[in-house]
Amino acid sequence: MARIVIEHLKYKYPGTNKLALDDISFTIEPGEFIGIIGRNESGKSSLCQAIAGLIPNFYKGAYGGKIFIDDMEVKKVGVEELCETVGIVFQNPFNQVTGSKLTVYEEISFGLENMGIPREEMIKHIDDAMELLDISKYRDRYPFDLSGGQMQRMAIASIIAMKPEVILLDEPTSQLDPQGREEVFQAVQKLSKQGITIIMVEHNMEKIAAYSDRIVLLEDGKLIDIDTPQKIFSRDDLDEYGVEAPVYTQICRELGLKDRSSGYYPITLEEAKRILSGDRKGEM
Amino acid sequence: MKSISLYVDKGSWLNKMAPESKIIYIITAITVPALLGIRWAGMGFIVLSIILLLSGKVLKKTLPLLGVSGFVLVTVLIIQGLFWAGNITPLFRIGPAVFYKEGLNFALGILVNVINILLSFCVLILTTKPSDMIENFVRKGFSPRFGYVFISVFQIIPQMTETMNTITDAQRSRGMETEGKLWVRIKAFIPLISPVIMSSLINTKERALALEVRGFNSKNKKTFLNEQVKTSADIYIQIALLLGIAAALIWRITVWLG
Amino acid sequence: MSKKLWSLKFNTATLVLIPAAIGINYLGKLFASLLKLPLWLDAIGTCLAAVLGGPIIGAVCGAVNNIIYGLTLDPISTVYALTNIGIGIVVGILAYKGFMKNLKGAILTGIIVGIVAVIISTPLNIYYWGGTTGNVWGDALYAWAVSQNMPMWLASGLDELVVDVPDKLAVVILVFIIQKSLPKNLLNLFHNNEEVESLD
Repeated sequence: MARIVIEHLKYKYPGTNKLALDDISFTIEPGEFIGIIGRNESGKSSLCQAIAGLIPNFYKGAYGGKIFIDDMEVKKVGVEELCETVGIVFQNPFNQVTGSKLTVYEEISFGLENMGIPREEMIKHIDDAMELLDISKYRDRYPFDLSGGQMQRMAIASIIAMKPEVILLDEPTSQLDPQGREEVFQAVQKLSKQGITIIMVEHNMEKIAAYSDRIVLLEDGKLIDIDTPQKIFSRDDLDEYGVEAPVYTQICRELGLKDRSSGYYPITLEEAKRILSGDRKGEM
Repeated sequence: MKSISLYVDKGSWLNKMAPESKIIYIITAITVPALLGIRWAGMGFIVLSIILLLSGKVLKKTLPLLGVSGFVLVTVLIIQGLFWAGNITPLFRIGPAVFYKEGLNFALGILVNVINILLSFCVLILTTKPSDMIENFVRKGFSPRFGYVFISVFQIIPQMTETMNTITDAQRSRGMETEGKLWVRIKAFIPLISPVIMSSLINTKERALALEVRGFNSKNKKTFLNEQVKTSADIYIQIALLLGIAAALIWRITVWLG
Repeated sequence: MSKKLWSLKFNTATLVLIPAAIGINYLGKLFASLLKLPLWLDAIGTCLAAVLGGPIIGAVCGAVNNIIYGLTLDPISTVYALTNIGIGIVVGILAYKGFMKNLKGAILTGIIVGIVAVIISTPLNIYYWGGTTGNVWGDALYAWAVSQNMPMWLASGLDELVVDVPDKLAVVILVFIIQKSLPKNLLNLFHNNEEVESLD
């Protein structure tokens, strides 16, 4: 499984003078679920695209530091090789459809054909991915005729079928309606149970708090903190970074209710409930 | 799904034939009459194409294609019949307009040539799925990246038509004038088209990113989800057609030398 | 630099630009006929691609555009791929030489491209159609010119000229306006062969 090591990563887009990523270092263990939060333009998407190798190989520009996926150095292997290990899903489901295939089934095959996977194996990968993302019933539909949520799940399936060890999700729900969002969240939850490393940028703090093992907090291209959701969302200075803690955390903060064993505020409904009922027990 | 392709699957032998064979047929149908320089050769290929289209059950489908060029062909007949420089012998008159034999004869040559090209193309395009054709070329060594470009054009055009309908509906309800004076209509063009142009250019970035992360530039040898269908007759047909071209070429050269 | 201009190595963004440009060509043609404009306006995408990606990309757009038309709606248009290849190359070179930086240069580009289109299309018109274009205004001029005993190539050239030059002028001016309003980070994507700078 892939271990990701980021060392002093710096990046400037071509034609700009400002560092989009400014001296970022941290390590991600295999199988972790990492959430990335921060205000708009804080470098979340750039960080994702750097791990996927699109920065610098697609955009060019100015680059410093190193990212390793196991012993592969991202900058030195092309995106075409890296994509077999690291997959990425973007915001806009429409623009991720290749526009060269006539059915959902064929659409998912696109990456596998390019990788040169033998046909029998390809069919198995596609079937597995469709099953996992619950889109088998749209198998013969024209890709552009799907709803936003279905299309985004197809995009995820297209990446999953390539059997990556790491999958990056860059705000995959931001352009979807509430139903589409829920569909994608459920798919992501299923994925994380498969044991692959997931790195997700997401504005829904309740979801990101519930899913993540650790959270990366970015501001102005710099790494502010990387820690468990409890610790991150218990910080007093979240406002400064344009981040709102999950609603359960906010309520418990107002009420002054911390988890006694850890000393942090709860981040999910379940934790909040447990602490509330525990407190009541304590009073009795 | 809407498509710009006029292809229909009738399960005919033409549907099953390799696209290369049909492309070589087009080349033969165009070059042989050109080399021979005889109008009858063109007419012969027109008859042959009609027979092929009939046996492929798609003859009726040629009508919309003939319609595209039909109007221009009529103007050619009229203009050349009336004005061709070599006009001497009046043939008939409609009101004040005198049609000449020489001009009409010249126009007939154009007609035969254009219809021959049209029908021979029909043999290919009415019986071949565009994506299959391009996939076939990629299997034979055509660049998969350019193969992608071709296939995606077939999809982008119907999408553009749909976009246009959405925009014109929206603009009409806002009171845009698509009728009226020329200047009014010219002024309507720019706000109609520029937002779509901008967004389709901006979308190219995300589409390119999405392709790259799906191994678009992979150096591995590409494999295919769909299995290739082959017919054994194809190779013989191709050889026969190429021999035909060669024969016409030899005839032309001997005429020149003689 | 001239090596870059004629580079045959296309990056992904540049390749994806081709179908987008052909879609734009088609859209221009649709809107022009919807508004019953006396112009074709079917080369906006090809010219944009040439300005953004250079002469080779412009030429490829022109070629693919007409091959696709040929394979779908209008087989005869395949041979006019030659004209569109010419348009793509000329716009690409002129844009590279800096002609598309101001309106005056754009107008000049439009006129040059129009003339190039006439030079390539006229022999094709004569061979395939006996010299007419199917455009009412152009063909009326053709009929007049022939009745004045002008040679066919001249009549046919005039026929094409009255349609093509205004058309290409309008197209190039539109391309000039659009190109000016595109975000800069987008323009960078189509520059091939750039190197990554080091910050270490």
